This record gives sequence, structure tokens and C-alpha cells, in this order.
Amino acid sequence: MSMVSLRSATKTYEGAKNGAAVTAVDGVNIEVEHGEFLVITGRSGSGKTTLLNIAAGLVRPTSGEVYFDGSDLWKLSDAEQSRLRSERIGFIFQFPSLLPSLTVLENVILPASFTGRDGSAARAAELLDLVGLADKHRAYPRQLSAGQQQRVVIARALINEPSVLFADEPSSDLDEQTEREIMGLFKQIHGEGAMTILMVTHTGQLVSYGTRAIDMAAGRIVKS
Amino acid sequence: MNLTRLSLREISGNRFRSWVVVICAFLVAGFALATFLIAQGAGNSLRLSQERLGADILVVPEGTERKIEGALLMGSAAQVRMPAVNLELIGQVPGVEIATPQLYLMSMTDSDCCSVPDMFMVAYDSATDFTVEPWLEKELGRQLRVGQSVGGTYVFVPPGDEDIKLYGYHLSLEGNLEPTGSNLDATIFFTFETAYAMGETSLIEAGQPLIVTPGLISSVLVKVADNADIAQVATAIKQAVPGVSPITSPNLFDSFRDEIAGQRLAMTGILAVVLVLSFALIVLVFSMMMNDRRREIGVLRALGATRGDVLRSLLSGATVLGAAGGVAGVFVSGLVLYFFHARLTTALGFPFKFPSIPGLVFLVVLGLAVALAGVVLAAFVPVYRISRQEPANSMRE
Repeated sequence: MSMVSLRSATKTYEGAKNGAAVTAVDGVNIEVEHGEFLVITGRSGSGKTTLLNIAAGLVRPTSGEVYFDGSDLWKLSDAEQSRLRSERIGFIFQFPSLLPSLTVLENVILPASFTGRDGSAARAAELLDLVGLADKHRAYPRQLSAGQQQRVVIARALINEPSVLFADEPSSDLDEQTEREIMGLFKQIHGEGAMTILMVTHTGQLVSYGTRAIDMAAGRIVKS
Repeated sequence: MNLTRLSLREISGNRFRSWVVVICAFLVAGFALATFLIAQGAGNSLRLSQERLGADILVVPEGTERKIEGALLMGSAAQVRMPAVNLELIGQVPGVEIATPQLYLMSMTDSDCCSVPDMFMVAYDSATDFTVEPWLEKELGRQLRVGQSVGGTYVFVPPGDEDIKLYGYHLSLEGNLEPTGSNLDATIFFTFETAYAMGETSLIEAGQPLIVTPGLISSVLVKVADNADIAQVATAIKQAVPGVSPITSPNLFDSFRDEIAGQRLAMTGILAVVLVLSFALIVLVFSMMMNDRRREIGVLRALGATRGDVLRSLLSGATVLGAAGGVAGVFVSGLVLYFFHARLTTALGFPFKFPSIPGLVFLVVLGLAVALAGVVLAAFVPVYRISRQEPANSMRE
């Protein structure tokens, strides 16, 4: 059984472009196995972020089916979907996604508050140590650089020890040195456990970090 | 870190919008409490004033109905007189059990004759009175003597004085009646004999004398027999006594009832306008807040918050703002109504009595509930909308 499975997944946005419908993802079939590090590449507007969102259950496909570890995502209730997201999925977004009113430590702990797990503060401290921000617990996101903020997001994504990590352009706004450091972290995380990673990037150079890559264009997989 | 605490932090981080919501809640709660208090208090005042008079029928000179009602409720000057012979004629009407006369007098403003200016004074006949006498019997166990008086709840001996000076005449205050919320609370009662004595003293002691002409009275209060119909007795009085107007107790203060109904309607209208405008403003403010926090809410949903979590968190923020504004609103409104009671009574043109503590608590809670419900309902519209969005759509620019 695959970890993530998309069957004929299509996503159409009605009236998105001058009133016309836009098909962002067009009948995509994909199977992501346990422990796989899948890199999804493609040019801007190719549909790779939408594909990632569909796979993560963040948006309902217009048609097709999405399975997460054998469960049909869109047959789950909102509470079940939320529990699955908090307990089994980690997210790293392309945009700054830390909550500005929370400290670094509080941001990292946040997903744990949805699961009610104990010891989240100690685990958050460990993760901040892992990403090299052991001295920034009490800092607020605005006091950090873009690279440091993205490290906090990675720590936050790992707080609940997820089975799958979804990363959307995790290094797009970072300089080369920081990008290497972040990708090194990904490599380390993937190497340490059996975590499945789906990562979207427009940079072909990052393909080498994954165990498999697919290339998208016009909402379809053009190279696998 | 739970979502409610997060929502509260957002409130403190967005002060301008938070203040707008607080002010809206403040205005709604304040207006709601004022409307409820004045509307209910006015009704209470009329009822208690009627009970204080204790009459089934109030007979006054024709055409002076409004003047007499105004004097009793608002303390407006009412130099109304009719011949005392009317008392005898009224007493002979079938169905009349007791008929007792009253004489209405006013103390003077800006004069050294009177230590209490603009005081409404009622002279009564101790032999037949049923307004003050029952209270005297119960509280003092005796009737008032010449030179003695009892007052409404707000009548007092001026500080430093031993008695109340009216038209140069010294009156002792023997006690205070229960409050009614009307001018009867600021009215002083004494017997006809005291009134005559005061009139005589005023000729020597006061710059302007108090004219108390024997044989003239202001009104006659009537109690009808148990088996008699009040309306029929009133009609009989009207036919038997020329130049008088009998006002039956259900119709007493009718002109004020109309005025109160009009004012209540106007205040309810203002409250409705404040409520609608506040509602619209809060919807707008929360729509802006939700728009600004769309991405953040999308992130929270992606991280595992349910729709219910988001809804509860955002509405708890609205509840805190509504409660803060609401509490401040009822508090300020209550203070204004209490400290400016006399001015408000004059401005409104009718009296209103504060309810008992449980009644007041109920109205305060009602005012708060209106404000809170308004804020939460207004916030619910945009909050519900964003909580239903798919996380990816919330996160899109």
C-alpha cells in the first residue's frame, strides 16, 4: 500500500483567469511509497503546488481520488482530516508561515497542541537545537532572518514526528548557502528515519536530494 | 498554546480594530440598558404613584387634568383650585365610600423664605385622608399635628437646620415615605391646619405670602364602595358636580403614558439604529481581520486545527471584545442614569424609578447579553465563512 496515492486527480479553478476555468492539475496518477523522497519539479504555473496541496488534503480535487496510507482523504470528516494532518503530516510552506504573535518555541509547539501530546516543549527544544536555533526560543519571527524562519518551520513540521513531510519550495527565498544548509537538513531528516517526503521545487539542482523526481507542465506529469 | 490564547494575543496586536468592536459593544450595551431601565422605570413610577395616591378616582377642576398629573409626577407648578363645596357634592354621589380633599402648593425659588425651593406641597384632611394616614398609623402610630410633616423619600431637613422653613414657617419632618420614582418622592405632606398656619405666618415672615384661602381645594381623591363600578361612579360624579373632571385610576397619568410610549418607541428606534450600525461595522471589522489573517488561518488548519477550533478561537476573541465593551457600556450607562436622574427626568418629561437590585441585575445582564449577542453574531458571519474555506484556498494570495 502506497503512503500517498492520487488517482486521476484533477483540479479546476472556475473563473480564475479572466472568467475562464483553469485546470491546474489534469488527471494525475501518482503513487508515493513509504520512505520515498519525491521531488516534484516544474515551471511556475505548472500545477506542482496544487498537486502537493491535493496530496496533503489541503484542497479537494474537482475529480479523482486521494488516498493517504490507504484512507480515502475526502471520505474522512473534518475532524478526522484535521487529526490526520496534525498527527501524521508535516508541512513546510513556500511563504513565511510562522505566526508573528508567537515566539519561536510557541510556533514549534503549536501543532502539538492539536494532538495533546505531552513533552512537546522538550521535543521542540530538541528540534530547535537540531536546526541550529537553540538560542532563539524566546525570539519572535520578525527578529529572525528568512533562513532562520524556515529552520523554525522545519522544526515545527517535525514536532509531531509525522509520517510524511510536504514541502513547497522550502528554499525558494533563501541564498545558496542557506539553501544548501536547509536541504542538508532534509537529507538528514530523511536519512534518520522512514519519513516520506514530497518536495516541490522549481530548481532542477535540488532533484539530486530526492530518491525520485517527477516533472510537471500544464497540470500533467511530463517526466517521471 | 491553545487557539483561544492565540486569538487573544491577536486582539492586543490589533488595537484599532479591537477598539472599534469594543466601542460598538459599549454603545449597544449602554443604549440597551438605558432603554430597558427608562422604559421599565417609567412604568414602575406610574404604578407606584397611583398606588401612593390610593384613589379609585381623582377629581380635579375641568381642564386641569394634565396640570395635576404633571404636578404629581413631575412637580410642575399647579395652582389649581376649586370650591370645597365640591367635596360635599362628590361625597353624596352613590358608590362613593370616601372622598378626601387635597390642596397643592409650591415653595418658592430663590427666596430666603424657604430653605427648600421648588418643593411640591400637599395639604390633606387628616380626618378623611387615605394617602398618608395609613402610613402614619403604621410608622408613627399617630396623626400629624400642626407644624409637623412627612416627606417623600428625597425630602430632608437642610444640613445645619433643625427643621424645614417654608414661607417663614418652621416645619418638623416626622418621617419619609417609600420611594415611587416620581415627584411624590420630593413632595412634603401636612394637614390643612398646617397649611393655614403657614399662610398666616407667610404674611409676616415671607416677602411674598402663601395664599391659602379657606373653602378652596385642588382635588378630591375618591375611594368607591366595594360593590360599585369605578367608571359608573366617575360618570355619576361628572353629572352631579359641574366643572370637574373625574379621572379613574386606570386612566390616571394617561397623558404621560402616551408620552412614555412615544419616548420608548423613539429610544427603541435609536437602539435599533445603534445595533444595526454596530452590527455592520463589526461585520466589516471582522471581515478585514479575517482577510488579514486568512493565510494564518489556512496555516492553522493545515497544522491540524479543525473548523470548530478556528470558529471557537475567533469567536472567543469576539466574545472578549464584546464583553469588555458591554461591561463598560452598562457601567457608564448606569452611572449616567443614576447621577443625572433628575436632569434626565426633566429632559424626558416623565419620571422613571430604578428597579430593585434583582431587577437592576436582570436589566444589566440583558443589556450585556444584547451587546454580546450582537458582537458574536456580527463576527460569526465572516468567521464562519473563513472557517469553511479549504486550507489551501485560505493560504492563497
